[in-house]
Amino acid sequence: MAKRSGTHYVLSAQLLETGAPAYLTAAGVWSTNLQDAHTVLTDEERDLLLAQAEQQQRSVCDPYAFDVRVERGAIDPLSARERIRAAGPSTRVRRPDPQPPATLSRASEPRSDAGE
Amino acid sequence: MNQYQYDAYDQQIVEERARQFAGQVERRVSGEMTENEFKPVRLQNGLYMQLHAYMFRIAVPYGVLNSRQLRKLGYLARTYDRGYGHLTTRQNVQFNWPKLEDIPRALEHLAEVQMHAVQTSGNCIRNVTSDPFAGVAPDELEDPRPYCEILRQWSTFHPEFAFLPRKFKIAVTGTPGHDRAAIRYHDIGVRIVNNEAGERGFEIWAGGGLGRTPVIGKPIRKFIEYEHLLSYCEAILRVYNLYGRRDNKFKARIKILVNELGTEPFRLAVEAEWALIKDSALKLTRAEYERVAQHFQPPPYEKLAAAPGAGGALLAAELGRDRDYARWLQRNVLPHKVPGYKTVVLTAKDKDTPPGDISDTQFDAVADLADRYSFGRAVVMHTQNLVLTDVKESDLRDLHQRLVELDLATPNHGLLTDQICCPGLDYCALANARSIPISLELNRRFDDLDYLNDVGPCSIKISGCINACGHHHIANIGILGINKHGAEAYQLTLGGNDSDSASIGRILGPSFDEHGIVDAVAQVIETYLALRLSDDETFLECYRRLGDKPFKAAVYKDATPRDDDSEQAVA
Repeated sequence: MAKRSGTHYVLSAQLLETGAPAYLTAAGVWSTNLQDAHTVLTDEERDLLLAQAEQQQRSVCDPYAFDVRVERGAIDPLSARERIRAAGPSTRVRRPDPQPPATLSRASEPRSDAGE
Repeated sequence: MNQYQYDAYDQQIVEERARQFAGQVERRVSGEMTENEFKPVRLQNGLYMQLHAYMFRIAVPYGVLNSRQLRKLGYLARTYDRGYGHLTTRQNVQFNWPKLEDIPRALEHLAEVQMHAVQTSGNCIRNVTSDPFAGVAPDELEDPRPYCEILRQWSTFHPEFAFLPRKFKIAVTGTPGHDRAAIRYHDIGVRIVNNEAGERGFEIWAGGGLGRTPVIGKPIRKFIEYEHLLSYCEAILRVYNLYGRRDNKFKARIKILVNELGTEPFRLAVEAEWALIKDSALKLTRAEYERVAQHFQPPPYEKLAAAPGAGGALLAAELGRDRDYARWLQRNVLPHKVPGYKTVVLTAKDKDTPPGDISDTQFDAVADLADRYSFGRAVVMHTQNLVLTDVKESDLRDLHQRLVELDLATPNHGLLTDQICCPGLDYCALANARSIPISLELNRRFDDLDYLNDVGPCSIKISGCINACGHHHIANIGILGINKHGAEAYQLTLGGNDSDSASIGRILGPSFDEHGIVDAVAQVIETYLALRLSDDETFLECYRRLGDKPFKAAVYKDATPRDDDSEQAVA
């Protein structure tokens, strides 16, 4: 059974292309939305899905399972790590420009960028 | 250029490396390579898998960048990332959102400007770091950069040390009286010194490190002549490679080996190994030294006198006239060995931005400023700021205005809000807790320059886990994120120091939640202000005089800390 009573397993991995977290759905495809994830209860179901995920090397890296609670259809990870992994950074991603870029001196792009 | 310039051989190496990695990525994407096969390969090219995306770490040898390289970093940030890069605690630059298939092209771009991502990850010798003011500091005995470059060339693709028990970090300082490179906390620390006869050479330290088991390194060789630098380092690496533990990743650093063997047996093993190789091809000839050192000749400084009313008089005048500029002069403008010049710190720290993040437009703009004011050169500090090393005093006011426009002029160098902060659980797959929000909240709490200046020099460093990438162990005030039953919590350490009178911080008591830790830090500062002997007694001096007791009493008087940290989870 999943690690704690009342919890389920979700299978997750990182997308090969971008490294983004992905979750295995019931249809057997990977979604970047945790709420799309297929949840299973038993270790046997988990291990079967893990073995299948290990064969999908062209799509994902390092599949593993983690515990979640499912309440009224909503999936909630037990750990802060998986919550942040699902939601994205809790802080502003990009340092904001102090002024619109057009007003700052912008050197010409490096020559190798031409036409790209 | 005052920076090492690649020869044809160097250029060939980085171009071929980019092509090689392109082939490796192709085979990974096609499924010809599994992830387990690909992982060591991508790590050796600086590509990590983090919480939300890949992370791409670019080597910046001892932190030195020219303007062309700065513009290239801005371009990479804009083209292959989300418009920003991050300055690291090892003087490198990293990007948090690249795509796998873009990395080979990014490496080609880097090769165009003599950059690469070789050995920024993996169990190998990493970027050699140094004093950010190398070459210009007035208290410097000798410019360490030629030796850093020699060590870099020796360690790159070293066939014997490609798969060490664990990562290996080397730092060099050229200022024996003021270590700004934290050499005592590196696997090998090198101090340029004179011996009693006045001869120039090195003092070698080994076995320092942070992480789970912080250790102050040991001086294992009081003096070695300059020609033996490489052979002695090679001897240390050979002993480590032979005897370092490989059975337990958490016990595999050289600091564990030195501790388990004992300093003297370790030293004797190194000396025995060194005796076999000291007259080998590793012996540094004067010609080889000159081949590298010629790249670090001083730029064409003008013959200038110090500006009229320099130093205290200038500052006093400005305080009355332009307080913001005066504060910046006081904190971020540092002495230079050449009269009429200064070194300027560009602080990438404010209350709204993760510490050390630089936008693409800021990279471009700093490149322009470097060209205009500093002979085209900037340096990444391990404290996650940038430096323009050679600014004429007569240009300071213009430069300040431009830095204000760029949001790089916060006058807080060395103060409470000039924090070191790891990416933490917002980004890092290893972390237990978020660090960036704590840093930002502290910056908001201490958003008063008068107060900051009253407190004076005091370092805060924040790590999101016990791997201590934020250097919390060696902070005057350190914060360590831990996992308590699935929730984030924070421990407070006091009394660390990263320089000559090295010390590891001590845990003050039970941990706090994310709000409590900010209150606790504020209480520590208030206690210091109340108990210091004078304005001149720094926080560290006060703590060393009084010990934990008054700080502990003040912090835990009204706090509701978490009761028991004995279940601190480890990464």
